[in-house]
Amino acid sequence: MSLTPAAREYLLALADDEHMIGARHTNWIGLGPFLEEDLAFCSIAQDELGHAIGLYELLLDDAGTDRTQLDAFALQRAPGDYRSCWLAEIKCLDWSDSLVRHWLYDRAEDLRWKALESCTDPVVAALSLRAQREESFHLAHAEQFLSRLASTDQSARIVASIERLMPIAFGLFDSVATEPDMLAEGFITQSSADIEALWIDAILDDLKRWDLDVDIVAGPGQFNEQRRTVRSDGFDALQADLLKVISLDPIAVW
Amino acid sequence: MNRYEVFLKKLGRDEFRHAGSLDAADPEMAVMYARETHNRRAEGSEMWLVDRRHVLVADPESMAVNDQKPHRHNDGSRVAARRKENRNSEA
Repeated sequence: MSLTPAAREYLLALADDEHMIGARHTNWIGLGPFLEEDLAFCSIAQDELGHAIGLYELLLDDAGTDRTQLDAFALQRAPGDYRSCWLAEIKCLDWSDSLVRHWLYDRAEDLRWKALESCTDPVVAALSLRAQREESFHLAHAEQFLSRLASTDQSARIVASIERLMPIAFGLFDSVATEPDMLAEGFITQSSADIEALWIDAILDDLKRWDLDVDIVAGPGQFNEQRRTVRSDGFDALQADLLKVISLDPIAVW
Repeated sequence: MNRYEVFLKKLGRDEFRHAGSLDAADPEMAVMYARETHNRRAEGSEMWLVDRRHVLVADPESMAVNDQKPHRHNDGSRVAARRKENRNSEA
């Protein structure tokens, strides 16, 4: 095992975020507002799940666990053992909420992967480069879609979604408890607080460019005490959903 | 929404080929969507998009006339038959 417990905890938080946001995005398969968008959004979901798989495999390899255990590790942990943030977990029934969440999440995700670009672990650094290439498409998609909606009569809906999701989005930057060790070891180059500051700048910049007037009420640190260990309402139902197929035949080999 | 025709070219000497079409609000979004609708498995290494409104369309009636000109179809079979005939007569 070459990863420190701190590094494992940190990567697990990113992996679980990618897993949950990917799973939630896939809820739109076949339901996107039009065919081209349906395909693009589901591609983004698939990319996020791909990032999660890359990180889960890394964690399994490091622990000396066979990769056949990936499904069990990804899907069958106790809720308290997940480290995902609430923004990635919650159910967004409204397309406008899902689109805004995608933008808020990917703005942060891009910065989080960048912080791992020169990671002391070469596998993590390689994953970071791959993820960043994919993120450039995710961000272009969010920018193009939202910038156009912002200038239509749907802008009020977008603003309402931003105001609803923004307080939850700050939970993205609830660092895992071990983060200070990671910085000291040089595993990451930026703290969650650094990333959060860059993220707020990027978000405010987007809003200004789109000419959207939004009150950003919640400040940093609102969820800090939870340190990603408490699951959001609806997590149990989400996990049950994800386990539906596995539960049909728990010993089947895929 | 506007319709765009997508053309893909594989790496190497192949020509651009029509891959299909898509609908998008404007050219920038069309290029963004085409990446996933027609190149999600890297089917091409280069891509063209053409606004359907910019495609020049020929009149099918004017084209159909040429279907009545069998003398323009030369598959070489008459020449081959003649050469065979010549060979046989020499033998």
